[in-house]
Amino acid sequence: MDYSNLRRQAASLKKGLFDQGHLDEQFRQVEDLQDEASPNFVEEVVVVFFKDSGRLITNLEQALEKYPRDFNRWDAYMQQLKGSCSSIGASRMKNECMSFRDSCGQRNVEGCMGSFQKLKREHAVLRQKLESYFQLLRQAGPAGAATRPVM
Amino acid sequence: MMRRDERRGAAAAATCRDQFPVGMRVLAVDDDPVCLKVLETLLRRCQYHVTATNQAIIALRMLRENRDMFDLVISDVHMPDMDGFKLLELVGLEMDLPVIMLSVNGETKTVMKGITHGACDYLLKPVRIEELKNIWQHVVRRKFSTRDSLNADMYEECNKPPSSDSDYLYDQVKCGSSVQSGRPNKKRKEYHSEEEDEDGDSSGQDNDDPSAPKRPRVVWSVELHRKFVTAVNHLGIDKAVPKRILELMNVEKLTRENVASHLQKYRVYLRRLSAVASQQAGIVAALGGRDPFLRMDAFEGLQGYQAFTSPAALSTFGAHGLLNSPRNNQTAVVIQGVATSRSIPTGSSSCTTNPLIGDAANYHLSPPGNRHGNLAQGLVTSLGQTQLEQKWMNEGSGDLSSILSGSSRANGMPRMLPSVTSSPLLPSDLVECTQAQVAIQPPVTAPSASLEQLEGAIGASSGTLVSRVSQQNALSPSGFSANGLLVHGSLNNYGASFSSNGATRLGDAFSASFRQTNDFTVPRGMKVGSSSFGGAIHLSPDTTEQKYLSFGSSDSLLDPKLVWSSSQLPSNIGAHHFMS
Repeated sequence: MDYSNLRRQAASLKKGLFDQGHLDEQFRQVEDLQDEASPNFVEEVVVVFFKDSGRLITNLEQALEKYPRDFNRWDAYMQQLKGSCSSIGASRMKNECMSFRDSCGQRNVEGCMGSFQKLKREHAVLRQKLESYFQLLRQAGPAGAATRPVM
Repeated sequence: MMRRDERRGAAAAATCRDQFPVGMRVLAVDDDPVCLKVLETLLRRCQYHVTATNQAIIALRMLRENRDMFDLVISDVHMPDMDGFKLLELVGLEMDLPVIMLSVNGETKTVMKGITHGACDYLLKPVRIEELKNIWQHVVRRKFSTRDSLNADMYEECNKPPSSDSDYLYDQVKCGSSVQSGRPNKKRKEYHSEEEDEDGDSSGQDNDDPSAPKRPRVVWSVELHRKFVTAVNHLGIDKAVPKRILELMNVEKLTRENVASHLQKYRVYLRRLSAVASQQAGIVAALGGRDPFLRMDAFEGLQGYQAFTSPAALSTFGAHGLLNSPRNNQTAVVIQGVATSRSIPTGSSSCTTNPLIGDAANYHLSPPGNRHGNLAQGLVTSLGQTQLEQKWMNEGSGDLSSILSGSSRANGMPRMLPSVTSSPLLPSDLVECTQAQVAIQPPVTAPSASLEQLEGAIGASSGTLVSRVSQQNALSPSGFSANGLLVHGSLNNYGASFSSNGATRLGDAFSASFRQTNDFTVPRGMKVGSSSFGGAIHLSPDTTEQKYLSFGSSDSLLDPKLVWSSSQLPSNIGAHHFMS
């Protein structure tokens, strides 16, 4: 197994995420927090993020249907989601959160729905890419090596 | 488990404190698991000692149990179980700790709100480590600035009569901060006061001169506070002066100054009650309230009430309503049936409070604007009050019998209604609460059977409580769901001592009004653990609550009730897959 190649792939995948705006500087801050004491920190945070954001998205989806035009409620969910996104550096998702909230402020249902769909797409894309990324890292080396953030 | 960790953490922290800011003990509160995890790690990277929780209620409980455990609190603004601003207020008032707010929302008005509620800083998410590296300044600044302030000034302000809402809030803020500033003089000491040089002072003046040498801080245990309230009630709230209170309390090693400062805080607390209650006066709580949270801490005044026959309603305060601006709270001030049927396992300490709660349950506290307006005021609606109470109620057995029998004292001022801030926690929390440190009160020979119910209900699982209720009262808990009651520790201690003492007088006032009203049905034997804040939640089948419930579901990677300190971190999560 060509570990260095896998690592290169992982690095390239990550770079792509940054270049395309899926991730921002905050993600690097999170990576910086990974150390010997928390060798899997980044992946742990990402796992938590997707679990929590998945839940929020599901709730929001239900709310969109069950509580039509309940902008306050929708906005509350989205604010939570925005908080998570900004903590992990999920930049595109965060932008969609903001535009969703703008639409809420304008009481624009179509705007909300549109943003929400985009948000879900971004969520799915980011999830898939990050999962690939961590998978590459795991394959890329022995336990210790795999968790080192790949630059 | 948490306690062990806390202790270990505290011990470790003690050594670190010498190298301040290294080892500064931070309590981090954020319902968002991602933010919390990142924040905690950031803080540890700054070499602080971190305790993190995703529930404000748990945070409050920890703070109340021992405010010396932390140097600083960082909290999110938007949390489902408690408004961050409310937590901020409470912590500032009660524990005199610096609080930093966090939010994604950087709007000026929100930031302003944070500042006016006493935040010493307001950070926007995502938080950068650079910002966190400086937060220790707030701890130092607070210690420095408080040293010079005069408690006398505070006392004056704290004793201004309640005015309009805005004035009141302003006073409270001022008062709160003043109170805060006076506290450090007595901080960091455990238990008994040691200096009694003031005992002989017969000036009768409240005189907490902060320029005096640091005095050891008295811990106002449940028992102590109960004695205090009993004394105050006996004298009459308006006539209670520290010297007389001290005499009545007859507690060795307690100084007039201790009593004086405690009285200050108590008055603040009462004022908050009255202000909030008056705002809500006139709002009749919907029976079976839709509010997911039931405030238990207002039960204080209900103790001693023995007429279980009259229907009373426990007001269920929407936690948010209570916690947020009272103006926005539409929950009824009146105690509706909700609470009574819900046994709120409050933990051991609620022993004393249970009877009270039962009593409280029978109170109809709503009358707005009438002479019983005070009653309404007695309803505690703000967490802040609860916190005050909590602080005053540590473990300790109170003189329940005196409280319960104290039917002759009616100061006409309802104390707080037990209001339990509930959280969508499951019964396991109840268990947790029952283990909270609380002294079990000796069984009071209460005339009413409900007392026994209450006692039996205390600390028991919700299931047990319910069964006892049905046994003894044949009152069917209206919509009570055993699982619905969660007791969160924070308010735990409060209700107990509070209600026990203050209730005597209030009880009479209440009973009078109660007998006249029949429209409220309060299940007897309401075991609202007034003191045990454990957080009984009144869960009504409401989708709103469902939202909260789901919050705590196992869906989340992190145990929603999880509290962990920096020494212990679940670090094996990495093995999980993204996809759930």
